Amino acid sequence: MEPKPSTTPSSFTDQQVFPGDVVLDLSKMANQTIKLGGGLRQDGDVISVMKAGKLRFSKPNKYWVESSNKRYVPSAGDNVLGIVVDAKADNFLVDIKGPTLAFLPVLAFEGGTRRNIPKFEMGTLLYVRVVKANTGMNPELSCMDASGKAAEYGPLKEGFMFESSTGLSRTLLSSPTCPVLETLGKKLAFEIAVGLNGRVWVNAASPSIVVLVANTIMKTESLSPVQQKIKVESLMQRMR
Amino acid sequence: MDLEREGGRGANQLRPIDCSRNVLSRAHGSASCSHGETRVLAAVYGPKAGTKKNENPEKACIEVIWKPKSGQIGKPEKEFEMILKRTLQNICLLNVHPNTTTSIIVQVVHDDGSLLPCAIHAACAALIDAGIPLKYLAVSISCCLTESGKILLDPNKLEEQKTKAFVCLAFPSSVHSVLTEGSINGIITSLTHGVMAGLCLFFNTVDDYFQCVEQGRAAITPLSNILKKKLQSQSAE
Repeated sequence: MEPKPSTTPSSFTDQQVFPGDVVLDLSKMANQTIKLGGGLRQDGDVISVMKAGKLRFSKPNKYWVESSNKRYVPSAGDNVLGIVVDAKADNFLVDIKGPTLAFLPVLAFEGGTRRNIPKFEMGTLLYVRVVKANTGMNPELSCMDASGKAAEYGPLKEGFMFESSTGLSRTLLSSPTCPVLETLGKKLAFEIAVGLNGRVWVNAASPSIVVLVANTIMKTESLSPVQQKIKVESLMQRMR
Repeated sequence: MDLEREGGRGANQLRPIDCSRNVLSRAHGSASCSHGETRVLAAVYGPKAGTKKNENPEKACIEVIWKPKSGQIGKPEKEFEMILKRTLQNICLLNVHPNTTTSIIVQVVHDDGSLLPCAIHAACAALIDAGIPLKYLAVSISCCLTESGKILLDPNKLEEQKTKAFVCLAFPSSVHSVLTEGSINGIITSLTHGVMAGLCLFFNTVDDYFQCVEQGRAAITPLSNILKKKLQSQSAE
């Protein structure tokens, strides 16, 4: 297959790209600002791909490679589920499935002062927000949103947490609501917290509902939306 | 006397290659690659925090563990580990995640010749599956030189043992590019073994080696396309 000798990047958008593929030639696009998301890097005058995945473009000028992995690359502004590994004087060390452990400052809670530091044991599951994620530094987390309110962040008690890929997390968080959650939500009552790092937490009144929801989500990961609806209906039939 | 190859393969024909991703559920990335009967399984864990003592903390560190099919781990395994480590260090981008270690474990399932190229392909596919940032992919080819001076690509175990010289080469794979100029050139790894004795003059031996390199280069594009097709059909699911 001959590569198309075109200079327009649209020839690669929404296509599968592999590491090493050159997708943009900056010398041909003068006076433009381009934002690069994950999976792309600048190599002199060209933009080349670092990770395998689908190349995506959103107007006006953002390019990124969408891929689904078991590990997470921390980026600022994401909501993730972390597990406390250690507690130091100034911050908690939290594992968010990234290359390094993340720091959660002890005062990063609504109304947090030195006198009322929360006591998290090793293994506590937290819903947190990534504040800073720079290369070479450990990511910084917070249990408050940008305006300083608690807003659902904090420890998640009871329930069941399972791990999957980052692609599944993005599907569950997409809007409009993903078909699996919609179909499950019509008949069952449960709460769910999805972290962009591939961790999902489910809680419901009875364990059988928790198990049903968790298994349904895991099984329908690789199906298309229509197949998902059918699969969910059949799983729920079996429960009745 | 020309060597009759098994299965009626031509001198330039490769055995069927199969590659599949995400074969292990607990590893962060995994792949299984087979060249004919030779099969290798590779698993990638990482990036994990911290580097080893003697490694540069400004860069990511790559650690390779080679597990043979049977027997204790000895010097040949250490040699394979070192070769794979150098090859993968060339294709990985080491400054994206400084001060981390990525472990790659390679398990030989069956060895029927051409083991190192199979291992390189399996390791590359596993790195792609784990999402480790790479500069480009590596494709690898092995060839052996018969006494009559003929070059056979992708030898199996019998052919490797019968012939006197053996070359294994790894190249950067072909890429799809918006640029109209040429792509990356060069050799990542070259491993030679045995004696390439020319019929008369000394410089025939070097010519034979360069011919192996040329034949290997000619095989880059078809090999890259096969590997990409195998990897693509799975990630689309």
